Amino acid sequence: MADTVWRTHGRTRRSTRTLRVRASAVILVAAVLAVLLVPPLVHLDQQAVDLSQKLLPPSWEHPFGTDDVGRDLLLRCVYGLRISLLVGVVAALVATVVGTLVGAAAAALGGWTDRLVMRLVDVFSSVPHLLLGIFVVAMFRPGVWPVIASVAVTHWLSTARIVRAEVLSLRSRPYIDAAISGGASRLRVTTRHLLPGVLPQAGLAAVLMVPHAMWHESALSFLGLGLPSHQASLGNLVQSARGSLLAGDWWPTLFPGLLLIVPTLAVAGLAGAWRERLDPRRRSELML
Amino acid sequence: MLDLKNITAGYERGRPVVREVSLAVAPGEAVGLLGPSGCGKSTLARVAALLHRPDNGTVTLDGALVTEWRHRAPRAQRTTVGVVFQSPRLAADPRLRLREIVAEPLRATGRQIEVRERVDELADLVGLGGDLLNRRPHEVSDGQLQRACLARALVLRPRLLVCDEMTAMLDASTTAALVAAVERYRRETTASLLAVGHDRTLLERWCDRAAEWTELSG
Amino acid sequence: MTKAAATKAAATTVLSVRGLSVRFRMRGGRHIAAVTDVSFDLAAGECLALVGESGCGKSVLASALLGLLPGNAQTAGSAVLHGGGDPVDLLAADERTLARTVRGRRIGLVPQSPAAHLTPVRTVRAQLAETLRELTGTPRRELRAATEAAAERAAFPLGHLDRYPHELSGGLAQRAATALALVGDAPLLLADEPTTGLDRDLVDRTADELRRTADDGRALLMITHDLAAAERIADRVAVMYAGRVVELADATSYFGGSGPRHPYAQGLLEALPERAFTPVPGMPPELGDLPDGCAFAPRCERATGQCGTRPPFDGRVACHHLEEPGRA
Repeated sequence: MADTVWRTHGRTRRSTRTLRVRASAVILVAAVLAVLLVPPLVHLDQQAVDLSQKLLPPSWEHPFGTDDVGRDLLLRCVYGLRISLLVGVVAALVATVVGTLVGAAAAALGGWTDRLVMRLVDVFSSVPHLLLGIFVVAMFRPGVWPVIASVAVTHWLSTARIVRAEVLSLRSRPYIDAAISGGASRLRVTTRHLLPGVLPQAGLAAVLMVPHAMWHESALSFLGLGLPSHQASLGNLVQSARGSLLAGDWWPTLFPGLLLIVPTLAVAGLAGAWRERLDPRRRSELML
Repeated sequence: MLDLKNITAGYERGRPVVREVSLAVAPGEAVGLLGPSGCGKSTLARVAALLHRPDNGTVTLDGALVTEWRHRAPRAQRTTVGVVFQSPRLAADPRLRLREIVAEPLRATGRQIEVRERVDELADLVGLGGDLLNRRPHEVSDGQLQRACLARALVLRPRLLVCDEMTAMLDASTTAALVAAVERYRRETTASLLAVGHDRTLLERWCDRAAEWTELSG
Repeated sequence: MTKAAATKAAATTVLSVRGLSVRFRMRGGRHIAAVTDVSFDLAAGECLALVGESGCGKSVLASALLGLLPGNAQTAGSAVLHGGGDPVDLLAADERTLARTVRGRRIGLVPQSPAAHLTPVRTVRAQLAETLRELTGTPRRELRAATEAAAERAAFPLGHLDRYPHELSGGLAQRAATALALVGDAPLLLADEPTTGLDRDLVDRTADELRRTADDGRALLMITHDLAAAERIADRVAVMYAGRVVELADATSYFGGSGPRHPYAQGLLEALPERAFTPVPGMPPELGDLPDGCAFAPRCERATGQCGTRPPFDGRVACHHLEEPGRA
């Protein structure tokens, strides 16, 4: 038995999956570092207008090219990503907290409270998100906070649904029966068994919501309803580049667009791996 | 100890799965309840463990009429009954370590100081040695997890133990070990037992008497 | 039982397992030896029951034969499938071969929980018909007759063919799953805990149906912890402990006659409520931390210093301290 020849079984696509997860992580870390470090460290004015430099294609001096008033697009994009990420993360956090509380409360209280709350969720969901979002921003002066509020208001609904369904499914498990039989109070069952069971799901929903919220912000800004146009959000950058695109200048549209798409894919890549980890049996890698 | 009279229970209105069933368990007595799967015997076990409110009939536990179920039942009454289910996988919170699973009823009833001593005592009773107590459910076998679930059911020293198909998924040796642990506990405490199952040989060997589901109605 | 059929078919080996081992690579370079050095032959018309406590490695062995091990598994030895075509080593074959020519076609799987195995949103008839089309290429106009024939082979009542899985009783769901497993007319059937959680008479019916498939000339490997089901239908019994086969015996001598010879096999049988109803003391060892010698020695009342070296498996039993056969 000493010189047993072991055969490995490559039934999984582990290597490509690991590669994808790593690439996603690198992209996201780079994006976060860029938006955190560039503004305090790089003392260039993203607003500096230089009409002699307008609409230059990508070059070593301006890797992303320049826009129609000669501003460096790389710098503008970093600032744009910074604002978009901020809006995305804060909006996703607010929406997740609200959604989790509403969903958990609806499931825990049950009865007519549950029915009322979930009908409300249905009503809100039946209105297109963008329409509802436009309605919210329209009530305030343009700025970051109305946009965050508008995105949060439209996004807690799905989290509430997910959390409610998860709590209901957890609540019917025999281990909840066992806890009740062991003298656990309602509060203890909720804090000890139900919430810890739901939080990973809610956290996953929150992470997936960040790019969603970024797109939402971009859509609002593109329509001219989001952030004031001097603030370089990704949506504003794409919006202001529309004119030059018609003239055949592709770079002012392409780079902000890529900065929306690539982090979205990276988040999806990481979230997929996270979802697999949520199943505790997979963690053991052993079939018993 | 336990007196179930004319119990009708179910999950949908107008479609009871238990109809007019009566069953009594005397103090210290071990009663087996035999029936085919899907006959409603598990529902009756949940009624007896105060986990499911019957539509009709009366439950008397330790001389007191039961009027509330689940969280509404007084804690002292709820913890008079310990319960073990068929599938240990579903009956154990996957996030907790076995030690925490066994200790949970003590913590939930504000008896943290007893945790260490009592958990060790029960680990010994059900035969959970080594570092098994420090593992999570997915790191142990069904048999080991069911031992932990039995320990949890006994940790508050219940006067009645309800075992709902406790050994249906386990091998012969683990079955015999779990039954032996229950019997040792009952010898020490004179607790009563209601064992629900479909294995006649097992229940007739284990219990003082085995009641036939079909003979309990009406 | 058809003794004549069994002897006639005994010459045809369907599955030949030699030195099969499976281990899992864990974090930190540790290894867990789930199955170690298992060898047996299985002939057409024969039923071999693989019994043991949960976690003894019997399900891992089944997964290895089906090529369904997770990515961190390593195997050694061979498991050559002779029935139904050219011999193929199930451990060395690639996933494409296994998926296209082995699973379903040369090995039928009777699953542990049929209710979970059947697609909930389609009728039994639709699932049988699809499997028939996929595995045998039955043309559309013959499909109806072929579907009904397939159902009848597993004693599935034709009147229930248009039902959905949730409308079936446990017994009928089991028969539907068996019918699906038989569609490919595979020479080897692998039943993984087919009776877990079933009532006694349902266990008996399921076991009898499996026995009939063996009597029709298939080889049947049944993995189970249910000794009563094994006693009912098995020709031979292999007892697994800590990943190794410790005893391989004729079912008649194991359950009656001279009885098991390995102390663990004896303990397992004596734990039954109709026998002594006493458990084997202690618990199985950790597969990641097995002793050098006999893995059962720490739980064995016959253990001596000799048990510090591993007893060789002589084809029937692996123990240094065999008692006289006929001990009862």
